[in-house]
Amino acid sequence: MPTAGVPSLSLHRDGTPDSSSPAAREAALRGRIVERDERALAELITATTPWLLGVARGMLHDTDDAEDVVMEVFRTLWNTLDGGGDGATGLMPLLLRMTRQRAIDRLRQRTRGVRLVEALSPGEQARSAVAPVEPNEAAQAGWHIHRRVHAALGALPDDQRSAVMLAYFEGLAQSEIAARLGVPLGTVKTRLRLAFGKLRTTLAPLKDWVP
Amino acid sequence: MTAHEWFIEHRTEYAARVLDAEESAAFAAHLAHCDACRSAVARIEAELEWLPMGATPVAPRPEFEGRVLAHAIGRSASPWRRWALPIGIAASLVSGLAGWQIGQAKAVATPPSVAAVVTDTTGRAQLAALRDTLSIMRTAARVMQATITMQGKEGGMVIFADPVTHRWNVVVHGLPKAPVDGRYQFWFIRSDGMVRGAEVQVDPTRPMIFTTGMPPGDGEILGAALTIEPMEGQSASPQGRELAHVML
Repeated sequence: MPTAGVPSLSLHRDGTPDSSSPAAREAALRGRIVERDERALAELITATTPWLLGVARGMLHDTDDAEDVVMEVFRTLWNTLDGGGDGATGLMPLLLRMTRQRAIDRLRQRTRGVRLVEALSPGEQARSAVAPVEPNEAAQAGWHIHRRVHAALGALPDDQRSAVMLAYFEGLAQSEIAARLGVPLGTVKTRLRLAFGKLRTTLAPLKDWVP
Repeated sequence: MTAHEWFIEHRTEYAARVLDAEESAAFAAHLAHCDACRSAVARIEAELEWLPMGATPVAPRPEFEGRVLAHAIGRSASPWRRWALPIGIAASLVSGLAGWQIGQAKAVATPPSVAAVVTDTTGRAQLAALRDTLSIMRTAARVMQATITMQGKEGGMVIFADPVTHRWNVVVHGLPKAPVDGRYQFWFIRSDGMVRGAEVQVDPTRPMIFTTGMPPGDGEILGAALTIEPMEGQSASPQGRELAHVML
């Protein structure tokens, strides 16, 4: 898959890779994991787990379920990562995508009972999933990406942002969003289409964060 | 609108995984034979690849990262591995039974909830303690453990939680004696605050084990903590240094 914003591998004047470049560090970390270096995996887990838990917890509203998702994601990565395949995708975007997909799968398996998210008021939903992290809470790596994404979300009109929050960060189906907001399904589709069009333009230039 | 126009119009929603389940399945089937849509979806996925970072990060619970690593590399695939440390501690308790005098838990603020396991060195009391210990370990639904490093030595706290009786077996091991002006204090972490549990009287030469029930009150028990509290006074909340905490 083509990747937006992945810098090309930097080279020293003598032609050797610049190990300080994000691409080189990404390649080195990936290579160590492919070589079954458990310390490399531990480093990746430490750097990325808060973000992955945030994605899963925001959608599932259950810490145990979120932890299960993250554990399965890393197990899958450890067992499947190789030098090819998803090599064009950065490790962090790959982990984020896997986490979201597994959380969506788990949400769709919840066919019975009242979903936990429905117990929350709309205001609580908005805060719980995508509340911005205050600077003093954000000492961890990756915060600059978080801030950029929030700026992009903040630039959306309120109705479009609400639709994105509920659909993308809460995992609600479009029909559920329509019922929640009291608007026609077509209106939800339109808001999402407009919002994601803007987000594509805004977020595409983001550079990689290498854990 | 033709069928293919519908797919073109919904590429972004599919790439963002916000289509309803049926539509998403139909789109996935379409991708299998449409190079143009597959290429477009891949491009959109790349453009939106950082969007999940808008979610609020969540600090992992203690020990979680270790569990993730163990699960990923397969060390937890076999159930006995997950129980290795608790079983090891239990085995140590059993093997040393004849020579041990298991420390007494001194009930402080919650007398009904804390019971000393063994109060003397007679064989009957020790067997009763062992039976109680193994009973709770056998049915424990959760085992919580935390490592504590003090004065260059590594010890820890292990809790076996029995969901049936709502009692915990708590093992504190490998810790030095409490400082002269302090004492080890066990706390319950409850949804409405910290609740004082038993004072833990540590003997560096052997593990200390006690059984405790849950403190009275309506708050949900979320975990437990071990602190060193000043010798004087009994504050309702921890005042001293936290050594470890575990969460259910």
